[in-house]
Amino acid sequence: MNNALYVGLSRQMTLKREMDVIANNIANSDTVGFKVENLMLREDVQQTSAKAGQQAGLNQKITFVHDAGVSREYTQGALKQTGGTFDLGLEGEGFFAVQTQDGTRYTRDGRFSMNAKGQLIDVAGNPVLNSSNSPIQIDPTKTQPSIAHDGSISQDGVIAGKIGMFKFADRAQLQKTGSGLFDTGGQTATADTTTKIQQGMIENSNVDAIQQMTRMISVSRAYEQVAGMMDQTGATSDESIQRLGKVAN
Amino acid sequence: MRALSTAATGMAAQQLNVEVISNNIANMNTVGFKRQRAEFQDLIYQDLEKAGAQSSDAGTVVPTGIQVGSGVKTGSVYRITSQGSMTQTSNKLDVAIQGRGYLQVQMPNGETAYTRAGNLSVNNTGQVVTDQGYPVLPQVTIPSNATDITISTSGQVQVSIPGSTTPSSVGQFQLATFVNEPGLQAMGDNLFQVSGASGPAVTGNPGAPGFGTLLQGYTEASNVDSVNEITALISAQRAYEMNSKVISTADQMLATTAQVKG
Repeated sequence: MNNALYVGLSRQMTLKREMDVIANNIANSDTVGFKVENLMLREDVQQTSAKAGQQAGLNQKITFVHDAGVSREYTQGALKQTGGTFDLGLEGEGFFAVQTQDGTRYTRDGRFSMNAKGQLIDVAGNPVLNSSNSPIQIDPTKTQPSIAHDGSISQDGVIAGKIGMFKFADRAQLQKTGSGLFDTGGQTATADTTTKIQQGMIENSNVDAIQQMTRMISVSRAYEQVAGMMDQTGATSDESIQRLGKVAN
Repeated sequence: MRALSTAATGMAAQQLNVEVISNNIANMNTVGFKRQRAEFQDLIYQDLEKAGAQSSDAGTVVPTGIQVGSGVKTGSVYRITSQGSMTQTSNKLDVAIQGRGYLQVQMPNGETAYTRAGNLSVNNTGQVVTDQGYPVLPQVTIPSNATDITISTSGQVQVSIPGSTTPSSVGQFQLATFVNEPGLQAMGDNLFQVSGASGPAVTGNPGAPGFGTLLQGYTEASNVDSVNEITALISAQRAYEMNSKVISTADQMLATTAQVKG
């Protein structure tokens, strides 16, 4: 009897989590290099034994809904012009690599700058790596560096270094570690030659505000509907108890 | 409900964004002002189910996992040190810096501050000072009987004295550069001070390799682009609204739960 309540509850729990994911997408709608996420659901089938006299197969299965995973859409975010020398937008599937305390992490956020030692660093101060995984040194006394599509940095007409770009066989396995960084999730990053770097641009998040707001409305309505269904189930059970009570009298 | 606090981080971030944008707009006509940009990053993620976890004894693994983020934070407020445009003032003591470098200013407490605002003047003793009256370093004194002042692109200050046919040199302006200019700490009054992030000042004459040149009779306008700022303001406001909508929706869902009779 209470199965309807539990099925409803399972749906409400996934809706609540979906709401959390949407809230995170909207909060990060202005975060450079952010990739939008969606909650994926799956059906959990539970077998119940058929009661005596019942046709086999009928009333034997209850399906609950369960969250299966969070998928990330790696579609290209729009490139926004900023004119900054070290603002780099990626066009393609690649990632930049940065050296953090916990090891190499990958990012799409190309808002770089220089630290006091002349190293190229990200927003959090982590050194940006070249294709052989070492930090990139820029000479501050030379002219403003110009960065080509393939990541090579030239100053005074001489190539001073090259920004590394990496790709992954399966981007779904990447793990977010916050601050726009991704952990490989056990994969090996390979050098990427197809992605283009655009100097003076940053990649906006790929969050589509309209889509997120619409999803939010539908989550909120679905939540209400399930609550309504649970109310209805409660009312049915109330009613049946009362009626059965009357018969007994 | 996590959505409530997530949206709250979003609103806080957009509020800061509006504050930074409004400061840029307020300083649109401030000489030597460099616009700033709030840089946002996503906050930590909670792993509810780890990707790559075993889903069966046969060695199959969960392909994506469930990671739910907890909102947005401000990574830094970055100063964009691009060149501002030159405004002609025809004032003999206005110098604009073209390219890299800052003028050095002697603060009353003895420290050296740095500025891009070259709207200089002379105090009662003939010293060249900033508009707060702080002397520019190295100190340059203009004789009271000088009829004309010439500042060359390499910072040489020459004056014409009545009775003398050749101009005489009274000093030399120097510029200071930093490895990481955006790392300088703003003190207000168009002044900056050295920080651990900027690296120490490297001084040299204007026009030397790695240093900008001076342009007499001009000031450097702020690098604020009004169209850019207004569009940024609009999108910040919309993002703020969306986050507040998330809060009201999450609240509505909680209210629905509270009303279920079962």
